[in-house]
Amino acid sequence: MRVNRRVVIQFTVYAFHIKLRVDANCLTMRTLKVCAAAASAMSKKPAAQPTLHKVIMVGSGGVGKSALTLQFMYDEFVEDYEPTKADSYRKKVVLDGEEVQIDILDTAGQEDYAAIRDNYFRSGEGFLCVFSITEPESFDATQEFREQILRVKNDENIPFLLVGNKSDLGDKRRVPLDACRERAHAWQVPYVETSAKTRDNVDKVFFDLMREIRSRKSDDSRAANGNVRDKVKRRKIKCAIL
Amino acid sequence: MGPPPVVTGISPKEGPPGTRVTIRGEFLGISVTDLIGLKICGCDCLLSAEWKSKNKIVARSGPCKGRGDIIVTTKSGGEGTSTVQFRGYHESVGPMKESAVWVEEAAPPSLPWGRRPMSPTAYTPPDPLGLSTEGDDYKFPEEELHELFPDGSGKLSDENFQPGWYLLEHHSNTSYEDLKAGMVFLQRKVEGQKEGQLSFLKANTGAVMDQLDRLVLLKNMYEEDQRKNGREPLPNLQSAIEESISLADSLFSEILSRKENADKTREALSLLTRHKFLFQLPSSIDKNIKKKEYDLVVNDYTRAKNLFGNTDVKLFQKILAEIDKKIEDLKENLFNRMKTMPINVQEQTKYIRLLISLNWDGDAAWTAILSRKDYLMNLMNKVKEHFKKKEEQESNEKGRRKLRDWECEGSWSATRADWCGAACGALASELHALWPLARRYFAGELAGQPTLPQRHTDLKEMIIAMVESFSEQMRGCLICTGASGGAGAGGAAGVAADVLRARLVANLRHLRDAYDSLLKLDLPSQPLSIVEKVIFDYRVHGMTVFLQRAHKRVKGLSEKETWKIEEFSDYGAITNLPHLLESYVNDALSAIHKCVLRSGRRESPLLAAGGEPLAALQRHTQHTLLAFVAVLRDLTMHHEDQDFNNTSLSVALDQRLEESAVETVSAGRSWQQRLLIAGANAQYTRRRTLANILTPFENYEMPKPLQAIQATKDELSALEDNIAEMYLEHKGDPLVGTIEPSMYMGRHHTDADTLLDDARPYVYEIINNLIAVHAEVDSVCGAASSRYVRDICETVCEELARLAACAPARSRAAAFQARLEYSLLRLAVADHLTRKAENYLMEALAGLPPLDNEEDKKRLDNIIQGFKKRMELQLTSLNCNMETV
Repeated sequence: MRVNRRVVIQFTVYAFHIKLRVDANCLTMRTLKVCAAAASAMSKKPAAQPTLHKVIMVGSGGVGKSALTLQFMYDEFVEDYEPTKADSYRKKVVLDGEEVQIDILDTAGQEDYAAIRDNYFRSGEGFLCVFSITEPESFDATQEFREQILRVKNDENIPFLLVGNKSDLGDKRRVPLDACRERAHAWQVPYVETSAKTRDNVDKVFFDLMREIRSRKSDDSRAANGNVRDKVKRRKIKCAIL
Repeated sequence: MGPPPVVTGISPKEGPPGTRVTIRGEFLGISVTDLIGLKICGCDCLLSAEWKSKNKIVARSGPCKGRGDIIVTTKSGGEGTSTVQFRGYHESVGPMKESAVWVEEAAPPSLPWGRRPMSPTAYTPPDPLGLSTEGDDYKFPEEELHELFPDGSGKLSDENFQPGWYLLEHHSNTSYEDLKAGMVFLQRKVEGQKEGQLSFLKANTGAVMDQLDRLVLLKNMYEEDQRKNGREPLPNLQSAIEESISLADSLFSEILSRKENADKTREALSLLTRHKFLFQLPSSIDKNIKKKEYDLVVNDYTRAKNLFGNTDVKLFQKILAEIDKKIEDLKENLFNRMKTMPINVQEQTKYIRLLISLNWDGDAAWTAILSRKDYLMNLMNKVKEHFKKKEEQESNEKGRRKLRDWECEGSWSATRADWCGAACGALASELHALWPLARRYFAGELAGQPTLPQRHTDLKEMIIAMVESFSEQMRGCLICTGASGGAGAGGAAGVAADVLRARLVANLRHLRDAYDSLLKLDLPSQPLSIVEKVIFDYRVHGMTVFLQRAHKRVKGLSEKETWKIEEFSDYGAITNLPHLLESYVNDALSAIHKCVLRSGRRESPLLAAGGEPLAALQRHTQHTLLAFVAVLRDLTMHHEDQDFNNTSLSVALDQRLEESAVETVSAGRSWQQRLLIAGANAQYTRRRTLANILTPFENYEMPKPLQAIQATKDELSALEDNIAEMYLEHKGDPLVGTIEPSMYMGRHHTDADTLLDDARPYVYEIINNLIAVHAEVDSVCGAASSRYVRDICETVCEELARLAACAPARSRAAAFQARLEYSLLRLAVADHLTRKAENYLMEALAGLPPLDNEEDKKRLDNIIQGFKKRMELQLTSLNCNMETV
């Protein structure tokens, strides 16, 4: 009985804690990240560790997220299909003359893993939302992914590319190009058609995304340095959304 | 070294232990064998790693927890780095989940709010807030929780339960309203539990009633039982059980005891079979000893010792004691065998090894060495005794008849040769056995204490003692020194030369064989040098014997002189003496060369410069040669007394001629001739033979005894002078002596102042005498004759000059006569005149008054011409020698 009572007391105390935490959730995340970035920028030499851009591959199962990743990373095309759980890749690339590191999180497309996606999305800085142009269902699913990302990241302008994969299978195309473009336009994101098999536009999508992330980051740091009010305002907005 | 591996990709990036992960990157090895290390989160996963390509490895994660690098190590690139990380976690395993993870089967602790403990399979974490509807859509990252609550845990049942953890883990997405509702729910539940018994009973009416029923049922059953069996049923039960036990015992005791007996018997039997080896060991040892298979005995014994050495069983101990006794006997036996000589070394080594393996206390090998040494010493002595005895026997047998012969044979007898051979053989064979034994002993192969510092010196002394005793013996046997030296040297003459040589060679061969075998043994140099010294001494001895023999033979030459002229050399007629000398010396040298000069293996050269043998050789050569000179001298002097009168008698020419004719007819030669022959011999020896003697020295590569030769030459030339003088003395003196009487004899007749047409007879006498001398000398000495004739001429001229000075010619006629005579004489001996003789003649002529008228001169010429014509034959004979005739 005594244990129970203690539990109750602690619960009451933590209820407030949680309230506060949830209240400040998004703000904390952002501030923490900014602070961490600033701290790392200050404490470590930037030359020693190139800037890291975190890219997350999303999309339905079997659309070719892993194929795109592997093609980009290792110039190889994997024919046999093996569902991914969550793969991590990281390498140095030269982006417009600057050496940066790209970290690719290749996530699972299958619905079984939908529950753990939130976790992953949170750490992403840019997203490649992939669907197969031979598979309308995967195109439809992009809508859900988009919503989930926006929900988790809480940011309309998160770097995001809509990628229509398997462009080499033009004869089997079942998602009209116009529909794709239309949706991209609606979301105000770029639309690129790729082929992991022929490596068509593979580098382009990754580099475009990294450029967006980079410009986004510089915006953020400017905002963090200059505009305090803006920060406050943003916090208020987020509270409202929650 | 290539670039280090870099891991840039991991699929998947997290998982429980055993997850199949695909590792991608660069330079992950150039072949399967190049990959030598793989660590995921610090866990070694090389075992499960499958190398696919240089960009890809497939492996299974280990039992790691938390985030960590993936480190690939290759032979070509070394240890690598990783840009991505793997996170290992341990899954909590639910009842419906398949898992390879071991699940603790202990029951979970009872939960405070559960009414009854749930079975482990049915256990699901309850939801204390009653908010289960939400589900686990969103998971709060575990590591962040760990960061927030370092000491806490999210499990309700844990001691360090942290409500914050629990809420964040399960309800991080729950809205505040819901949480409030959950709070109310929880409070209500707690309140409900507090409400008391009544509510509890209310809630559980069914169960309580059920329990009541059960209790009543139990009570009824108990009462029934008591009624049936009384209050104390236990004593009855016990007695009944005891009774049944005793009955069962009585029933089975017999069978049991029988079984027990059978078991014992079986056990004893099995023991016997099991330890058959031990029980049969004493008899088998006896058998094997009888069969001399000691190895088997040793093996068995060692085995028995190992198996039963520290047994506590009395029986075994007894048997072991018996065996020990047998083994002790065997050891004693073996030891004695090992000590007993003669025995070959293999067998001895075998015994030593056996003794060692039987733990003999003593130093078996050393004893063996000692016994071998004693044996060798004894053997040597025995050989010595044996041959001494044999010698004595032989000398006794022969003694009466041939005592001298025996003495003479001395160290050259066949017995001694046998003795030498036997001793050499004994030494060689025994050392052959002893030395390897010792070597193995010191190499530590034969146990004992070879490291004892004393041992090495002991052994060395032993060997030296052995070799020394051998050398002593051989010296005694072969080289008779001291008192018997003379006998040895004398003995050499008693034995035929070829026998001597054969014996010497045989003995030397024995010695050398022994020495060779010792050399092969690789003995230390000291004993070797002792043996070598013996050999060397023996060789010197042999050489000396040969030289002494030659000396002796040369000494005996005087008896061999037959005065038979062998040939006419450039130096006159010689007998065979020089040739005999040459051949004797040659014989000796060739014998030396054949027998002893050649050095055997690792022997010092016999005639090393400055060595004693070389000096001996020189000395002996000199002795020999001088002996020859002495022989020649003796030969010339020997007949002196005998012949002196003979010659002194021959004052007159006629007498002498007669006598010499008589002597020439007789078998022997006249003393003068012998003298001349001896002179020729001496000269020939000096000029020719000595040079010839040097040739064998050169041929046999011995140093030339130049000193000896020189001494001999000196001696010989002295002898020659001596001989010449003597000859002159005995020949010239009478001749000269006759001149004066003959001259005055003639003067009586020619005193008148008559016309002279011829010289006085004394001139003819002189000429005739000279011819006779010349003939004699020339017949013997040939070309060398001129010397004698010249000397005589000189004497004659001197005498003439003296006479002329004493009695100067008073008259003209006398002067003329004297001039005529001197001129004729001068003419006659013109070829033999020396400067001195010429001077004498000139002196005599000068004393005469010169011829003053032509007539006289003419007459003188006429007479000289007439003289030449008349005396042509005589003059020719005087002025020529044998060869031209």
